[in-house]
Amino acid sequence: MILIDKLAYSSRLRRKSPALKTVFSVSSLLLCVAARSLPVSVCILSVMSVLTVKAGGIPPRRYGKLMAVPLGFLILSTVAVVFHLSAEPSALFSLPLGARYLSADSASLLYGLRLVLTAFASISCLYFLSLTTPLTDIFAVLRRAHCPELILELMFLVYRFLFVLLETGSAIQTSQRCRLGNRDKRTALHAAGLLLAVLLQLAFSRSSGIYDAMESRCYDGRIRVLSRTCRATAGETAAAALLLALFAAAAGFGRFYGGAL
Amino acid sequence: MNTDIIIRAERLCYRYEDGTNALNGMDLSVRRGEKLAVMGANGSGKSTFFLCLNGVHRPFSGTVYLDGRPLDYSKKGLLALRRRIGIVFQDPDQQLFSADVFGEISFGPLNLGLDEEAARRRVEDVIRELNIAEFQDKPVHFLSGGQKKRVAIADILVMRPDVMILDEPTAALDPKHARLVDSIIDGLSENGMTVILSTHDVNRALSWADSVALFDNGKVLIKDTPEAVFQNEPLLRRASRETPAVIRLFGVLTEKELLPAGLPVPRSERQLEKYLREV
Repeated sequence: MILIDKLAYSSRLRRKSPALKTVFSVSSLLLCVAARSLPVSVCILSVMSVLTVKAGGIPPRRYGKLMAVPLGFLILSTVAVVFHLSAEPSALFSLPLGARYLSADSASLLYGLRLVLTAFASISCLYFLSLTTPLTDIFAVLRRAHCPELILELMFLVYRFLFVLLETGSAIQTSQRCRLGNRDKRTALHAAGLLLAVLLQLAFSRSSGIYDAMESRCYDGRIRVLSRTCRATAGETAAAALLLALFAAAAGFGRFYGGAL
Repeated sequence: MNTDIIIRAERLCYRYEDGTNALNGMDLSVRRGEKLAVMGANGSGKSTFFLCLNGVHRPFSGTVYLDGRPLDYSKKGLLALRRRIGIVFQDPDQQLFSADVFGEISFGPLNLGLDEEAARRRVEDVIRELNIAEFQDKPVHFLSGGQKKRVAIADILVMRPDVMILDEPTAALDPKHARLVDSIIDGLSENGMTVILSTHDVNRALSWADSVALFDNGKVLIKDTPEAVFQNEPLLRRASRETPAVIRLFGVLTEKELLPAGLPVPRSERQLEKYLREV
C-alpha cells in the first residue's frame, strides 16, 4: 500500500486533473466489464499500460510485478472455466477420467481467454487510477461528487493515521528486536501480543491528542479542507474522450464480426 | 486594569483524571507583544497551562483573563478565543491530521468562516512566507521532522492569531532546522504578535525573550527579565535549569575585574565576545 502511494506521488500524471483521471478510468472499467470482448480488453489493457508506464513514468518492472499480483488467482479460476467434465471426448483436448472426460474445446478456451483479458484490462484501469492519483486527490473528487461527508472524513483520518500507526508500530518492533524480542517463536508471539496491546493504547491517546489539536484550530465537528485544483485542459479532455470512443468502437467491432470475439 | 496585559492567569488549578495535579495555583501575566520564554522540567505544567489558555482544558479553580475579561466557555466564546490564541503542538504528528499539506493548512482558515477564495489566498501566502512550496505536494507522511514542524507552524500562522504559543518547537530537530524554526519565530514578534515559547534551551531563552518564566510543579517560580531570572541561582536550581555559560563567564570576568563594572549583562556569546574585544 505504501508502495502504491509512493508511486502515485511520483507519477508524471499526478498533476493532471484527478476528476478527469477518475472519470476516464471508471468509464473504461465499466465499458470493459460490460463489453466482455477480446478487442475491447486488448485495447484497454494496452492503452492503460502505456499511459501508466510511459506517460506516468512508473518503472515497467514495478508495473509488471503489480499486475502479476492477481495472476495466480486468475489462473486458478480460469482453469475451472476452461475445463469441464463431459460424457463425450472433445476434439481439442480430453483426458479420460473413468467413464467421463475432462475436456476443453475451442469455445471454452476462447471463453477463458476472454475472461482473463477482461479481468486484466479491468485491473489495468484501476492501477491507472491508483498509480497516477494520490488518495488525497481522490478524496477531493469524491467530495465534489457529493459522497457523504461522514464517510469522507473517516477515510480522510484513517488514511493519515494508518501511516502514523505503521510508523509507531515499526518503531516498537525495532525496539523489541533490539532486545531480542524475536529470539524464538515463543518470544516472537509474546512480543507481537505486547505490540498490539501498546498500539491500541497509543491509538486511544493519540486520538485524544489529535482532538485537542483540532479543537485548538476551531474544529466545529466538520472537517473542511481545500485542495489544490488541477483543471483538465481541453486537449486532455479531448484525448480522454477520443480514447473512450476508441474503446467503444472496439466493442462495436467485436459485436459486428460475430460473437466469436 | 492594565490594558497592556493581554493574558492573565490567576491561581489556576488543574488535575488530570488519573489524579496528577498539573497546575497548583498558577499566576502569570503576559503583556501584549511580549516575547515570553517558559522553562521548566517535563511535567512542570507547561503544556497543560497552554491548553488552559485556549480553553481546551478548563481549570478546576482560578481564572484566565483575556484582555481583562474572564474566558467565556460557551461554544461561541471558545471559537472566538481560539481564533485569537493559537498553539503549535510539540509533536507534529499530533497536530497534522491531513495527508495533504495544502489541505492541512487550509483547515484553520475555513474554520474561521472565510470563504474558499480568501482561505486559498491565505494558505498560499503562508506557504510562500515559510518556504513550504518546495514540499507542498508531498504527502505529510513522507515529510521530514523539520518539514512537518514548518507545516505545523503554518497551520497556526495562517489563522493570524494575536497570541502564538509554541510548545518546544525545536525539540528533536537538527541544528539546521532548529535555526530555521528559530528564525521563523523571530519574524513573528516583528509583526506585533505576542509569542509564548516553551523551551529547554537556556541560551535561546536568554537571547530571544523579553521575559522568562520558570515553572515548577504547576506553579510559576519567577517571571522576570532573562538577566534577572538567569542570575537567580537558587530558583534556577529548583527548576533544574543551568545558568547560561555566558552569564557565568560574565560573572567571573567582572569579579576578577577583567571587564569594567557596570556593563549590562550580555544576552549572547557574541555580545560577551564584543565586550572582551573592547577591553
